Amino acid sequence: MNESVRTMQVRVVLSGRNYELADSVPGQLTLPEGASLDDALRTLAPLVPSDRVLPRSALVAVSGTHLGTVNRHRPQVLRDGDELLVLAPVAGG
Amino acid sequence: MVLPPLSAEESARYARQIGPGVLTVEGQTRLKGSTALVSRAGGMGGPAALALVMAGVGRVIIAHGGRLISPDLNRQVLGSEQLVGQSRAPHFARYLQSMNRFVTVESVDHEPDDAEALELARRANVILSCAPTFEERLRLNEAAVAAGVPLVDAAQWGMTGTIVVVDSGRTACLRCIYPANPEFEEMFPVIGAISAAIGALAALEAIKILSQTGSLMFGRLWMLDGYHWQWRHVQLRRDPDCPCCGPSARKVSSQCP
Repeated sequence: MNESVRTMQVRVVLSGRNYELADSVPGQLTLPEGASLDDALRTLAPLVPSDRVLPRSALVAVSGTHLGTVNRHRPQVLRDGDELLVLAPVAGG
Repeated sequence: MVLPPLSAEESARYARQIGPGVLTVEGQTRLKGSTALVSRAGGMGGPAALALVMAGVGRVIIAHGGRLISPDLNRQVLGSEQLVGQSRAPHFARYLQSMNRFVTVESVDHEPDDAEALELARRANVILSCAPTFEERLRLNEAAVAAGVPLVDAAQWGMTGTIVVVDSGRTACLRCIYPANPEFEEMFPVIGAISAAIGALAALEAIKILSQTGSLMFGRLWMLDGYHWQWRHVQLRRDPDCPCCGPSARKVSSQCP
């Protein structure tokens, strides 16, 4: 018997130094219900063009709350309708 | 603290910015009695310093090393073609001073090291970090935290920019956000319209802090993506283990980790 997996939608915003990548990745991820921030980042990583990576120092925030960097962040279970912001550091003057 | 009164000429100069929804007379006198440090004074720091000077911040200190080069002129509003090849800071300061005789403009013709940044921070009531490198930003952040002075960090890349406002020792500092120094590229892309916009908004927040006006953005990051025309606010989280502002803060160099 096939048991359908319940899913949820998470909006993705890539910006900062990444902003030009935003048009290359879907603006929304479909994830299993109960997926975590790590699950979302793992899903997102291979969608980035092969010659680019999400900087490990990029800030990650979920629905306006800062959770750390791609490399080091607090665990977070995502909810349907959340927005994941991945903001690569900027430092131009 | 006794605030310096405004002269009749100063009241006339600032008449359009004193009133409902802008500054009070007391707020304007607070600006007059304040010192702001702006490092550097290029694409963002130039417009920021100009806005502070025109608003009547009593003392504005700009720090910027090197000589003006032609590629600077796509964004550095304090420069001009006549200044190419000349030292930036003294000429920028002269222009700023020409905009307002009621304030004092000081220039530092180099980027401060750790000790000088702390010394300047102790003289300032607010610091605007507009530097192109994380090393410099984190140095100013560390100086601001050590001196207990608010920091407005303005950053830019291509057609995007961010502003982070730190209430030193009370809200997340830059080191909380960037536990390790991010990589840096010397030739960052920039268009003057975005750097001027971010610099001007950083100055607005500094003016609000100094004059005690409006709702302050302490503890938050604001991001503007001008390419896609979208913006976001992020509520920043303090890192309890932050080596700069955490309870067990130790003296760290801005060059590490």
